[in-house]
Amino acid sequence: MTLLIGATTIGLILALLAMGVYLSFRIFNFPDITADGSITLGAAVTAILLVHHVSPGLATLAGFAAGALAGMTTGILHTKFKINGLLSGILVMTALYSVNLHVMSKSNVPLLNEATLVSQAETLGMTWFQVAAGSDLNVLGWSVGLRDAATLLAMLLLVGFLGLLLYLFFRTNLGTAMRATGDNPQMIRALGVSVDFIIILGLALSNGLIALSGSLLAQYQGFADVQMGIGMVVWGLASVIIGEALVGSSRIGLLITGAVIGSVLFRLLVAIALRWGLNPNDLKLITAGFVFVALVAPSLLRKLKPAAKPESSKA
Amino acid sequence: MLTISNITKTFNPGTPNEVRALRDVSLRLEAGSFLIIIGTNGSGKSTLLNAVAGSFLPDFGTLTLAGQNITFWTEHRRAKLIGRVFQNPFSGTAPTMSIAENLAMAAMRGQPRGLGWALNHKLKAELRDRIRSLNMGLENRIDNAIGSLSGGQRQALTLLMASWLKPDLLLLDEHTAALDPKSADQVIRLTHDIIQRDKLTTLMVTHSMQQAVHLGDRIVMMHRGEVLHDLQGAERARVRPEDLLKRFEDVRRREQLDPTVAEMLQKNYI
Repeated sequence: MTLLIGATTIGLILALLAMGVYLSFRIFNFPDITADGSITLGAAVTAILLVHHVSPGLATLAGFAAGALAGMTTGILHTKFKINGLLSGILVMTALYSVNLHVMSKSNVPLLNEATLVSQAETLGMTWFQVAAGSDLNVLGWSVGLRDAATLLAMLLLVGFLGLLLYLFFRTNLGTAMRATGDNPQMIRALGVSVDFIIILGLALSNGLIALSGSLLAQYQGFADVQMGIGMVVWGLASVIIGEALVGSSRIGLLITGAVIGSVLFRLLVAIALRWGLNPNDLKLITAGFVFVALVAPSLLRKLKPAAKPESSKA
Repeated sequence: MLTISNITKTFNPGTPNEVRALRDVSLRLEAGSFLIIIGTNGSGKSTLLNAVAGSFLPDFGTLTLAGQNITFWTEHRRAKLIGRVFQNPFSGTAPTMSIAENLAMAAMRGQPRGLGWALNHKLKAELRDRIRSLNMGLENRIDNAIGSLSGGQRQALTLLMASWLKPDLLLLDEHTAALDPKSADQVIRLTHDIIQRDKLTTLMVTHSMQQAVHLGDRIVMMHRGEVLHDLQGAERARVRPEDLLKRFEDVRRREQLDPTVAEMLQKNYI
C-alpha cells in the first residue's frame, strides 16, 4: 500500500512536468528539452533556500520563478537569435547543469531536517485528523502513514488546482492567442500578436511548471540531486501520450486531465514493474522505447488498414 | 489612405539567385478605394502585398498608412491597421480551435490581450449573427473545430475575421485562387458585399481577369517588379477582360526579346 501511495504521489508531482511538456510539445509543437535542466533547477533553488530556512512556500515559488527564467532564456535564444528550437533547449539545458551545481555548491543537497511543504502538510494532517506525528491512519480498512496520506492529499489538491488554472488560462484572450500560435503562427501574427513574445511567455510558463514539479519532488523525496533531471522530458512526454490515448479527445480540459492521469498511471506501472524485479538501470531505456512505440504506432496502424478512412486533406 | 513610395526590394542580393522583386514602386491609394493588382507570375504583385503587410523590410522606400509611417513597424504591429486574407485557405484560421474561438481572436485584432475571457455570451451572440449573414449554415456549428470546414467556408470566415474590426486597409492575396469555382464565386460575392458595406480601402491581388474587371475601381498591372499600367477613372471603366489579356500578350511578346535587344530596338526605331 505504501508503495502504491508513494508512486501515486510522485505521479501527481510529475503531472506538473507532464503539463509543462504538454504545453511546449503539444500546444506549441516546440520540442523543448530545457525541461531536463529546469526540473533540477527548481529542485536546486528550493532545496538551497530551504537549507537557509526560507519559508517552504516562498522557496517553492522561487523554484517556479527560476524555471520560468530558464524557459524564457530558451525562448529568447530561439526567437531573437533564430537558433533552432531543439538546439536552444539543448544549450540552456547544458548550461543549467553548471548553474545547478553552483546553486547547490555540491551535487546533492539533503533536506532531512528542514521544514518543507511536505512536513507542513504532515503538520496540517495532524491537526485535521487529530492524530500524533508518525502515527498511521485507517483509510477504508488500510493502514496508511500520516505523512504519506497528508502529502498525497496536498499534492492532489495542488495539482488539481494548477491544472484547473491552466485550463482556465487557455480560455482567456492571452491563452487562446497562445494556442493559436502553436496552431497557425501566420494567422495569429496577422491578428496582431507577437509570436516571439508568446513563445517566450509559453516556454516560461512551461518550464515554470516543470521546475515546480522538481521543487516538490525534492521536498517529497528529501533531497535535490544534480542528476535528477536526466531523461525527464521523455518521462513527461510518455505521460502526455498515455493521457492522450486515455481521453481520446482533442479538448484542452480533457487533455490536461489526461496528462495528470497519464503521469500517475505511468508512475504506478513503473513502480509495479520495479517490484516485479525490473532492473532500475533499464528504466530510461524502457521509457524511451515506450515513447518510440507510442509515436510510431498510430501511423503504423493506419498503414495496416488502408482505405479504412480517407485522410482529410491538410496543407 | 495608403501611400507606397519608392519601395525597392532585392532578394538574395549579390548571389546567382538574386531577384529584384520590387523596383521603385510608388502607389497612392485614397481612402475607400479598391485597387486590384494583376500581373504574371513573379511580377512582384504578391511581394508588394507582403511589403505592405510587413513580412519583410524593404531595402528602400517608405510606407504610410492612415497618416502613420509604418515602414519599420513589425508585421504584428501593422495588424492593428491591416486585415488580411491569404491565398491558402488554411493560412487564415487556427484549425484545431473552434469557429467561435477563431472569430473571438479576430475581434481582438491589434489590441493588447490580457486575462479576460476570450468568449462570453454577448460576443457569442454577435458572432453567431455575423456568421448567419454568410448564409453557409455555420451559425449552429460555432463550437466545431474550424479545421473540419471546407476551403471555401474557411476563406469566408477568414474574410469575416479580417473585416471584423473595420481595418484601415484590407489585403487580399489571390484569396480565391485555391477554391473550386462555386466557392470562389461565393467568396467573391462576400468580398464585394463587405467592402461595399464598410467602404474598406482594399488592395487585392488576383489572377482572374474577370475579377479584375468586375470588382474594384482601379487596376494596376505589374511586371518585373514595376508598375506597368495603372488604369483609373474612364479608362478603367472601359476596360474588358480581353483588353487585359491583350496587355499580357504584349508583355509576353516583349519578354521573348533579350532586354538589351529590346532597348536597342527602342532607341533606333521609336
